[in-house]
Amino acid sequence: MSDHALSAARPRLRLPSVPGVAIVLVALAVVFALISPNFLSTGNLSNILVQSVILLLLALPMTLIIMTEGLDLSMGAVLTLASLVLALTVVSTQSLVLGLASAVGVGLAFGFVNGWLVSALRIPPFVATLGTLGVAQGLALIVSDGQSVVGIPRFVRLVYSGETAGIPNPILIGAAFYALFHVLLYHTKFGVYIRALGGNRDALTLAGVKWQRMLIAVYMLGGAMAGFAALLMTARMNAGHPTAAIGMEFDAIAAVALGGTSFERGNGWIFGTLLGVLTVGILRNGLNLMAVPSSAQVACIGALVIFALFLDGMRSRKP
Amino acid sequence: MSTASDIAAPGARFHLSKDVVQIVYRLLAAGLLCLLLSVLTDSFLSMNNILNVLRQASLLFFLASGLTLVILTGGLDLSIGANIGLSACLAATAIKATGSPALGTLVGLGVGTLVGICNGLMVAKLRIPSFIATYGMLWVLHGVTYYYMAGETIHGFPPGFRQIGSGYFLGIPIPVYLMLGFLAAGTFFAQRTVWGQQIYAIGANPVAARLCGIPVDRRLILVYAFSGAMAGVASLVFLARLNSAEGDVGEAMTLPAIAAVLIGGASLFGGVGTVFGTFVGALILTLVLNGMNLLAVNASWQPLVTGVIVVLAVWLDMIGRRRT
Amino acid sequence: MLNLKSLAVAIPAAFLATAALADGETIAVFTKNQTNPYFQAVRVGADNAAKSLNAKVNHYIPTKPDSIPEQLSQIEDVIVKKPSAIVFIPVDYKAMVPGVEQINEAKIPVVNVTDRSAGGKFLAFVGADDYNLGLETGRYMLKKLGGKGNIVIIEGVKGSLTSIDRVRGFNDAIKEFKDVKLLASQPANYQRLQALQVMENLMQSHPQIDGVMAANDAMAIGAIEALDGANRKAQVIGINGTKEAVDAIKAGKLLASGDYNGFVQGCIGTMVAIRSLRGQPIVTEVVLKPTVVDNTNYQPYDAAVETRTCPTWDQAAAMATKTN
Repeated sequence: MSDHALSAARPRLRLPSVPGVAIVLVALAVVFALISPNFLSTGNLSNILVQSVILLLLALPMTLIIMTEGLDLSMGAVLTLASLVLALTVVSTQSLVLGLASAVGVGLAFGFVNGWLVSALRIPPFVATLGTLGVAQGLALIVSDGQSVVGIPRFVRLVYSGETAGIPNPILIGAAFYALFHVLLYHTKFGVYIRALGGNRDALTLAGVKWQRMLIAVYMLGGAMAGFAALLMTARMNAGHPTAAIGMEFDAIAAVALGGTSFERGNGWIFGTLLGVLTVGILRNGLNLMAVPSSAQVACIGALVIFALFLDGMRSRKP
Repeated sequence: MSTASDIAAPGARFHLSKDVVQIVYRLLAAGLLCLLLSVLTDSFLSMNNILNVLRQASLLFFLASGLTLVILTGGLDLSIGANIGLSACLAATAIKATGSPALGTLVGLGVGTLVGICNGLMVAKLRIPSFIATYGMLWVLHGVTYYYMAGETIHGFPPGFRQIGSGYFLGIPIPVYLMLGFLAAGTFFAQRTVWGQQIYAIGANPVAARLCGIPVDRRLILVYAFSGAMAGVASLVFLARLNSAEGDVGEAMTLPAIAAVLIGGASLFGGVGTVFGTFVGALILTLVLNGMNLLAVNASWQPLVTGVIVVLAVWLDMIGRRRT
Repeated sequence: MLNLKSLAVAIPAAFLATAALADGETIAVFTKNQTNPYFQAVRVGADNAAKSLNAKVNHYIPTKPDSIPEQLSQIEDVIVKKPSAIVFIPVDYKAMVPGVEQINEAKIPVVNVTDRSAGGKFLAFVGADDYNLGLETGRYMLKKLGGKGNIVIIEGVKGSLTSIDRVRGFNDAIKEFKDVKLLASQPANYQRLQALQVMENLMQSHPQIDGVMAANDAMAIGAIEALDGANRKAQVIGINGTKEAVDAIKAGKLLASGDYNGFVQGCIGTMVAIRSLRGQPIVTEVVLKPTVVDNTNYQPYDAAVETRTCPTWDQAAAMATKTN
């Protein structure tokens, strides 16, 4: 009944078939550019990109996981733990490669456990990863005894603060991973399976695909990305800290949802995720440039998430 | 209406019998925990400590019981912790301004319920996934609360009001009575009323529920409103208990409340779970934390142990359900 | 941002006096979170000092309390804006060093307040001596107890500089008295509710507790609520000298609170930043002397922080522990 009333009113709004996130992104950019003169400077734009990379590294695999009708709540905690392990390894061995390997190793291990709990034991992803969130967070506190790990050699820091060919390293890393995920999702068989895993599992079983393995692989990919993100995070802080990325998984999930990936039926859009991450980055940056009080910023972020999904909801219900 | 309840009722009775078995398992687990703790430490089995555990569990239960109904419909409410913060701060202001605990109570419950209704409208009418709608709401609530409180705290409430958090009746803390009251009311509502049965039906199969003529949107709004109202109740007990209001008072409560519901046997896919199960879940979680404190275990282990228990409980539950 | 109008004012002013060489500077003030009253006191102090010196303050606070990545991002954003100077409280004294170095590279003068940063170049450090604050307040309580009794310590956030040093001070105070026994030392993360629950649990394991040393006021008051709830008595001390603590001291519930004086820290930090911009002499380190607030000297603290006024520069300079 109410649905009828809404759909009758909708055509008058005449929303073009552009996703909500793109509209919001452009609107925000225009508003900030008009109000704040520094917003469009190259320095600031590169700022926004650099700041968004760590979140992007989590949001990319989160998109795939959500496309399988899953969720990974452990990512922030795994990132934190991996960052501590990386810091400890680098401090004791002075080797970036070993450090990165240990961080990615931690991520893969947690990813495997997540995937195994979800696919073999059939535990709902929310529950399984809520459990591993606790485990990773606890381990992070135990490993570090609540203290930051410092004394990280200079070369680690350059991963984040250095430049290659005039472009900040994090932007290059983010671009590379984005390209990788794009190819993975749209140009490989793995991508086809992922898209089928959400809502079309029976077809996979009939086709003789061992989808359980695919599911484990998807979660391991998420863990590995948390490991890579841990490198950037550690390099950024020049330290490992036991609560550094707590709660970041929710930011990633919000960015994915903002980007138009739906929680049902495996409809995902990797470019949308990029837009979602950038929208959050632009919003925070612009509000800071305008020196908007922190409490208003908090409310704006919430309102943005709701609003963008509201726009999408209106669009998707068009007849 | 009548068709809906006719269809929902047999299915629900079927669930109930399974649920009873599952709850017996959980009670056994809680009993085992108690036994273990009383062997390990002398201080566990004192009357004081048991009341202590019950009172600590009550705070968790208020939140978790409202959340149970939301999860029964297949949704989730991430805003409850932030809701406590805003409700507590506004109720505190009302009490301070008017000196009337009754008005404060009204404000606390009202704000909590209003937030819940907003959540319900977003989920039911705007069709925003509950996870995202309530996550957005969490941020909005934090923003409003932080702006309103500007980093201050409000403290010092009349002794009469403080009874609901720190008072005793016949030697038992008042929050424990409140918990038992809400437990009885929640169980009755979910198992013995048409509306309760409709909520199960919505969670089990929303499309079928709609086709059966269940007013799905209205029930959804009701469920989120109830979850918000329970956050309001929790905020009042918090206020009375702590004798002060801070913006971040409920922040650390959301994930434990979800954990309690899951340990209690509710399924995130909806349609499965009971308020009583959640009560036992809250009890188990509190017992574990209490035990770790009594045994002087390093606090860093708490998230780890909680995480393992959640996964374990859900896994055992699934095995149990497959067998029966 | 220097427009002609301000030049027109500034140039003649330069001939008139060294003071107010170029007023209207923008000071960016970084604090850790929006919920702890301590940081609100720092912010009000900064506002107060800037107003009297005719400068403008912008506050930057992480939207998630104590978030390291967010404070790093805020630094990057603020550097784009190029404020005249920065007053900086790092959310973590080690992990925020790269941020300080970025500020240094951008050649924006910065004053370090409260938590002493482990690296980077600052105009000055303004803070309090956490260790001596813990020591003095702890001693004060142990003397009141007649140099004997059973003590518990409630710690703040593990690994935070303030908590480590305050707890070290408490412990050293306890060591000075032979007949004082430390029963337990547990963290409650500067949170009221956690302190209340930790205290409830400790009371189960320890039938006789004579004194509670809490690393901040919110936890001290949480502990008092727990004691009240169990009808037990113990002397309790906190740290920060908040309004709430003063009210509890007046009511005879709290024995004393070590004054951390965020307001004065905010004042002096901002004054140093502005004076340095105007080429006036500054001090390079102010470590406030520990003051124990009790029922004999609480009067100056018994007012909303907004109504207090900053010390004059001469008074501030007299507190300096290092000058150029």
